[in-house]
Amino acid sequence: MAASTSSVYVNVIEDVINKVREEFMNNGPGEDVLKELQGTWEAKTMQAGVVNNPIERSAAKGTPGSGVTPVHDLNVPYEGTEEYETPTAEILFPPTPLQTPIPATPIQTPLPGTGDNLYNIPTGGSDYSANESGSSNGGVNAETKGGRPSPYMQPPSTWMNHRPPLDVNIAYVEGRDEVDRGASHQPPTQDFLQMNSGKRKREDFPAQYQAGGFIPQQDGAGDAAPEKFEIEVSGGSTSIASRAWSEMLTRVRSSTPKIPQLDGPIPDPYDELSTPNIYNYQGTFNEDYNVASTPAPHDIPVSTPAPVVQNDVGDDDDDEPPLNENDDDELDDVDQGDELNTAHLVLAQFDKVTRTKSKWKCTLKDGIMHINNKDVLFNKANGEFDF
Amino acid sequence: MATFELYRRSTIGMCLTETLDEMVQSGTLSPDLAIQVLTQFDKSMTEALENQVKSKVTIKGHLHTYRFCDNVWTFILQDAVFKNEDNQENVGRVKIVACDSKLLTQ
Repeated sequence: MAASTSSVYVNVIEDVINKVREEFMNNGPGEDVLKELQGTWEAKTMQAGVVNNPIERSAAKGTPGSGVTPVHDLNVPYEGTEEYETPTAEILFPPTPLQTPIPATPIQTPLPGTGDNLYNIPTGGSDYSANESGSSNGGVNAETKGGRPSPYMQPPSTWMNHRPPLDVNIAYVEGRDEVDRGASHQPPTQDFLQMNSGKRKREDFPAQYQAGGFIPQQDGAGDAAPEKFEIEVSGGSTSIASRAWSEMLTRVRSSTPKIPQLDGPIPDPYDELSTPNIYNYQGTFNEDYNVASTPAPHDIPVSTPAPVVQNDVGDDDDDEPPLNENDDDELDDVDQGDELNTAHLVLAQFDKVTRTKSKWKCTLKDGIMHINNKDVLFNKANGEFDF
Repeated sequence: MATFELYRRSTIGMCLTETLDEMVQSGTLSPDLAIQVLTQFDKSMTEALENQVKSKVTIKGHLHTYRFCDNVWTFILQDAVFKNEDNQENVGRVKIVACDSKLLTQ
């Protein structure tokens, strides 16, 4: 592969040089400087060992035609056959032309001007709604896609019924399912009116996604009471199993009445449509992270340990010392200094990232790997990681 | 066409950046033009990867850190194994940085 990496690099260099030539000639420093640029660049790449010396331009010419296989978005259309993937806005409403006529179906289209616009705001700015509403009939339909029939609705509902009874995220789902259930065949305005009524059912989950535009308001991070939320954060991020910690947590909580932003970005209203399930946290068995504009749900809040450290003195009677910076993984420090130098680096684009329990799967494409001092290019890569 | 600046961190991108830096510092190149060259590199590199590269790789390893920020996934793997058609590489520690492919197609 090294040879083809070299030839691709040579092509890239030539392509860049050719395409900026005009700029250099017209009002720039001219051909000589361009030649100097090319020469130095090539020399450096040869020095780095990623381009063969001498540059085999003839060989390089051969490659371009050979691999003209366009890389398609592997998620479209969604075939939820393999693993039980949690459907997301991206899967359910892939930004493909196929989908775009559907939002116009009259069934779920709320009448414009019936007050939907109040709730229209959050959905308007997401990547997908922008994308689809732009290509369909304009902004009015942006929120209707939440309720429209979708060919990709079925797979999620089957696995949802098999979902194990594990339900850790009550705080997060509170009120959400009612909304979703109401949303499936009614105009979105209904959802809010029914918010606090009824009981929740897991089977209602698929409907949640049909109500895409309104999920995040009820799903926790943004609207949870600060106290409640902090318990989640502390317990979840530090893996405290013992009840002995509860007292300390209470103290921590009281010492910090409010912890802003611990969970990453507060959901931006404009992101909400595209982030339907990121706040499901532990409750969701399988999550999909392919959503644009999704704040990282599982990032451990950096500032969580801080309040505990303040309580250091008061917790003498506890068996273990409170959590503090020393609990951080040593390797975290290595990240900072090491990552620039260790040079094992993969640069790519992701198509799909999913997690099932501690098993992560990701689909990457168009990547450059620099591993063991070699550059290797790939068109596609599948990753399976254990966390 | 949207592009990622991601690939500037590759070897070839770093070589270009260094070259441009030197030339801007020595005054032979204006910073504006240097940026144009870099932007062109972003495009050319992306196109080349799409059109000229066909190989497939599988990556396995222990996920030490994951991070998703600003539509960029960062994974730090330990004891990773990279396999492609003709060989296999083992790496004690590797960082994967991946941008959202859909951002390019929009």
